[in-house]
Amino acid sequence: MAYPYRHDRETRVLSAHFGDPAARTLAGWRERGGYEALRSALAMGPLDVVEVVKKSGLRGRGGAGFPTGLKWSFMPKDDARQPHYLLINADESEPGAFKDRELCRWTPHQLIEGALIGAYAMRARHVYIYIRGEFFEPAQIIGRAIEDAYEAKIAGADVLGSGVAIDVTLHLGAGAYICGEETGLMNSLEGRRGQPRIKPPFPAAVGAFGRPTTINNVETLCAVPHIIRNGADWYRSFGTEKSPGTKLFNMSGHLVRRGNYELPLGFNLLELINDVCGGIRDGRSLKAVIPGGSSVPILAAEECDIALDYESVAAAGSMLGTASVIVMDDRTDIVKQVRRIVEFYAHESCGQCTPCREGTEWMAKILRRIERGNGSEADLDILLELGRNMTGTTICVLSDSAAAPVASSIHKFRDEYIARMRAPAGVPFPIGALTG
Amino acid sequence: MADETRLVGGNEGWAGERGDFAQLSEADIRGTACTEGRPKEGRAAGGACAYPYQLAVRDEDAQLFEGPYAERLAKIRSRYPDNRGALLPVLNLAQEVRGWLSPESMARVAEILDLPATYVRGVATFYTMYNKAPVGRFLIQVCTNVSCNLCGADDVMETFLENVDAEPGETSEDGLFTVIEAECLGACGFPTAVQINDRYFENVAPADVPAIIDRLRGEAHVLNGSRG
Amino acid sequence: MSNPDAAKMAGAAPPMDTVSCTINGVQVTVPKGTRLIEAAEQVGIGIPYYCYHPGLSAPAMCRMCLVEVAGAPKLAPACVTEVADGQVVLTESDKAVEARRGTLEFYLVNHPLDCPVCDKSGECKLQDYVHAEGRPRGRSLEAKRVFGQDDFGGDILYDGDRCIMCTRCVRFMREVAQDDRLCVVQRGHRSVIDTFYDHGVEGSPWAGNIVDICPVGALLSKDFLHKARVWDLDGTPSVCPNCSQGCNVRIDTRDNLIQRLRPRANPDVNSYWMCDYGRYRYDWIHRGDTRVAGAPFDVTAAGDIEAPQLRGANGSHEEVAWQAAVLALVERLEAARGHASVTVVGSALHGNEDNGLLMHLAAQLGSVKAVYRSQRAADEVVCPGFPRLARRRDLTPNPQGLEALGFERAGDDEGRGGLAAGNGVLLVLGDALADAPADFGREAALFVVFGRADTAAARNAHFILPVSTFAEAEGTFTNHEGRVQRYWPALEQPARVRPAWQVLGVLLAGLNDEAAPADAASAFLRIAELFDPFAGLSYATIGTRGALLNEPVRLGAGGS
Repeated sequence: MAYPYRHDRETRVLSAHFGDPAARTLAGWRERGGYEALRSALAMGPLDVVEVVKKSGLRGRGGAGFPTGLKWSFMPKDDARQPHYLLINADESEPGAFKDRELCRWTPHQLIEGALIGAYAMRARHVYIYIRGEFFEPAQIIGRAIEDAYEAKIAGADVLGSGVAIDVTLHLGAGAYICGEETGLMNSLEGRRGQPRIKPPFPAAVGAFGRPTTINNVETLCAVPHIIRNGADWYRSFGTEKSPGTKLFNMSGHLVRRGNYELPLGFNLLELINDVCGGIRDGRSLKAVIPGGSSVPILAAEECDIALDYESVAAAGSMLGTASVIVMDDRTDIVKQVRRIVEFYAHESCGQCTPCREGTEWMAKILRRIERGNGSEADLDILLELGRNMTGTTICVLSDSAAAPVASSIHKFRDEYIARMRAPAGVPFPIGALTG
Repeated sequence: MADETRLVGGNEGWAGERGDFAQLSEADIRGTACTEGRPKEGRAAGGACAYPYQLAVRDEDAQLFEGPYAERLAKIRSRYPDNRGALLPVLNLAQEVRGWLSPESMARVAEILDLPATYVRGVATFYTMYNKAPVGRFLIQVCTNVSCNLCGADDVMETFLENVDAEPGETSEDGLFTVIEAECLGACGFPTAVQINDRYFENVAPADVPAIIDRLRGEAHVLNGSRG
Repeated sequence: MSNPDAAKMAGAAPPMDTVSCTINGVQVTVPKGTRLIEAAEQVGIGIPYYCYHPGLSAPAMCRMCLVEVAGAPKLAPACVTEVADGQVVLTESDKAVEARRGTLEFYLVNHPLDCPVCDKSGECKLQDYVHAEGRPRGRSLEAKRVFGQDDFGGDILYDGDRCIMCTRCVRFMREVAQDDRLCVVQRGHRSVIDTFYDHGVEGSPWAGNIVDICPVGALLSKDFLHKARVWDLDGTPSVCPNCSQGCNVRIDTRDNLIQRLRPRANPDVNSYWMCDYGRYRYDWIHRGDTRVAGAPFDVTAAGDIEAPQLRGANGSHEEVAWQAAVLALVERLEAARGHASVTVVGSALHGNEDNGLLMHLAAQLGSVKAVYRSQRAADEVVCPGFPRLARRRDLTPNPQGLEALGFERAGDDEGRGGLAAGNGVLLVLGDALADAPADFGREAALFVVFGRADTAAARNAHFILPVSTFAEAEGTFTNHEGRVQRYWPALEQPARVRPAWQVLGVLLAGLNDEAAPADAASAFLRIAELFDPFAGLSYATIGTRGALLNEPVRLGAGGS
């Protein structure tokens, strides 16, 4: 069941033990069938494990939705360039996302088991769990789980007696959203500033410490033991053809019942809001939804009757991303929320690329000025053009992510911006009065 | 804010979650059994980095990397193929001991890892969580990002500032509290999320703030007492 | 990221595979692994850039070099994208131009309008690119962020407001100087360059280079601060005279005064760099020898002789015309032919032509003992990122040339002592004889000074013929590894001063009836005829990159 509310329509796969403190311990996890999937995987060949994951259609749950099995297959199939690394992205910092924290603190062994299976499949000798520095409590829980796993000879020199050696290390971050970008994560792991790298080279060729590396999201790896135990076809029985499986939906904002819910991909967004989450609080009506975390375009209420899978949300002009659904009711000040989101990106930009470094803060300044009432329609044109100049021109997509809510909110809620402007629409802002 | 199921397990709403799991105690939710009482030198090296580095108990003048910390430092270093890889965990360790990273601390970390001090400064200043100046005993970080913002985070922030009587980023006169805004803390289902040192406080409403401050004062009192 | 140019400079063999692409319709074929930005340069297509530098790593973060590649959804950074066979690249398409325009606007959002007070004006890449392709009007209504200025220590000032965060300076210190003195502090729009608190860049022998490579006026030289506008400067290619490395430099002058030295790129000698020891020692070049503290030799103030002087019977000198001086000297030289001993003192501050013709002249007269003095440091200072470059022990530019011409080193590491005037012919070129006793050379049968320093010893000479310093004439130096490199005249010499090779050539014409070289190139050809190490070389073969001597040069006692 998901957390902190249960709903009958949920499919309880990854979240089956949320809210069950006993499931955290090694003994408790074993009682609940834990580490059997690892045992099965070790009896298959590494490439067979990759095949199963490929066939399952599992897609990365960190936002990009890249097919996981395919990603795993990029790793070298031999040991010529050892050590290989598997990095777990537990740097959950996307506004609206809070699923990885739950997975970490309720089922740390589920994560470790999935990681060990993935490491085995990719011949990785070392797993680093990169967890954001703010997640002290989940980190300690995972740290304890790692220690227990070593003592029980599940992790370490001889995994479950198979002769395979896989080390697991927990690595705490220090407060930088950009370290959730996979190449920024690698740089941060290596003890550098967490700035993204240019690709090529790709991580599977040159990754952490120069070695073949794969980076996977927590939720992605937590699905793996279930896929191994129940098979690829079982996993495909959930969700849609192109977006199979279940997803932890992060429901936040103006809802009666906020929280995580595990549902098959393709679930209808309005049903999720109105049925599963109990609808909009205080009897208000829906105004807008950000379906995939703050980096994706905003949907207006009338655009929300869509299926929540990667293709359908893209067709609606947004992205499923991390399935972090932020729900806004009719009293929401869109301009204020977009301003706050852009300030987030300006704060978190690593500063390498000029369009992002300068553009995010410029956008933030304009939005603050508009919010104060000193804006004009010309500012909206500038914001849209800045957004275009910030899209597709940088090493990573943080600047694209800053542009998306700005552009979509101007297109869909223009009247809110206009209402904030000092002069009526059509009267130009007096540039001569500028003092800089 | 949605109404809450009556709490049963001794879990103050803002010290944990509500909903269908209201019977859980705070200890259950925080996983206290896992998180408390871990030795400073760590157990298996894989978990050597899993320690909070923002604590209410710290000593600005303490030697770094002595006693149990020397052992933990060795464990940390053994997990990375080179010295540079250990930089973040070692900076974490320095802040755990001293509460913030002074130039002297950075230089000491640089020395122990054989890295240029300037390089260490460049890395340390990149990350938000490294304190480059001393902070109060309790660093109160209020998330004001969108999911919490929609549910009144700005008011929670204001209320904290009023209650500690300081400006954002300033330390209160009694040295106990520093309040700052934080970016998304990853607890968006439980607005407003507030991180205080190594703990999350969730579902914080303005009305909860005085009780939280009182609780923290009480803890400070206990910690002072326990230090003799 | 490795830098292919560094590998080339280290003498690695170029790869055999080639790939071809078209850039703006022009086909170019390059070795596999070549990046688009280099391929474009080879066919004369310039792609703008800030963070890229051929001597450093390429982080692809300035986003100025984005070009359109047919078939690719996003623009590609030319500084890191390798040429792929059959690629079609457009650097001036609408998309590429628009991207650059947009990026330049981002650069200007916070950049202060400092051009009127900024040293970099006139050689500023931001000015250049914005002028070429930027928006004509700024449209930001927001206040610009202010970081202020910082003294980085040594010669370096930093203006944070002007900084465009290309990080060339940080990467230079890390990769070339291999002395991490600079870092980026903070992140995002609050990023700025800084040192480790108050540990500056002082003490780094290479810090001056960061001012050169800064594309804008964020890093400034205190030495050059507000001294001259760059468009008032005349730049002349030359060779640094402060040690025997022979860094290729450009001497920038205004009103016949040197304003600064800057390195010229030479992949065989100094890459794109020069050391601070050489960079800031240019004041003394005006006099060519020893007047100024900090110059290679130190001497108390003495005057400058700027016209030929003839010593009369009463011991005092009279100024004469060149023709008179030359005719009189030829007569004396003729009389001295066959004399038992000729002592020659050459100068490591003078070129191969000057010293070589001096040696040749001396050889006409008798048995020659030729010496030179040169100040020498205790050790070398090697550039870690380009080890072929070092501040060498010899603190003069041409000791190797002198060795190749048959001179022997004399004196101590201060460049003093080691001279014995004798009573035969004494010919001195360039050496100020500052440490010589006041009666030095009085016993010489014929004492000629080719120089300008008005010292007590010089005043014992029968003839004082003022000759050009290296900065006032064309010529060549031979560096520590035997590379002959050309320099050109950067300063205008006083009206009656002549190049030494010209004077010596005329004297030789009078003595031997050989043709006097009409120009420095001919003088060099004469040297090449006379001295085996130089055989076959000419100004044409030396070009602007230099050429090695023919045989291993006999190293003077104590090495290079």
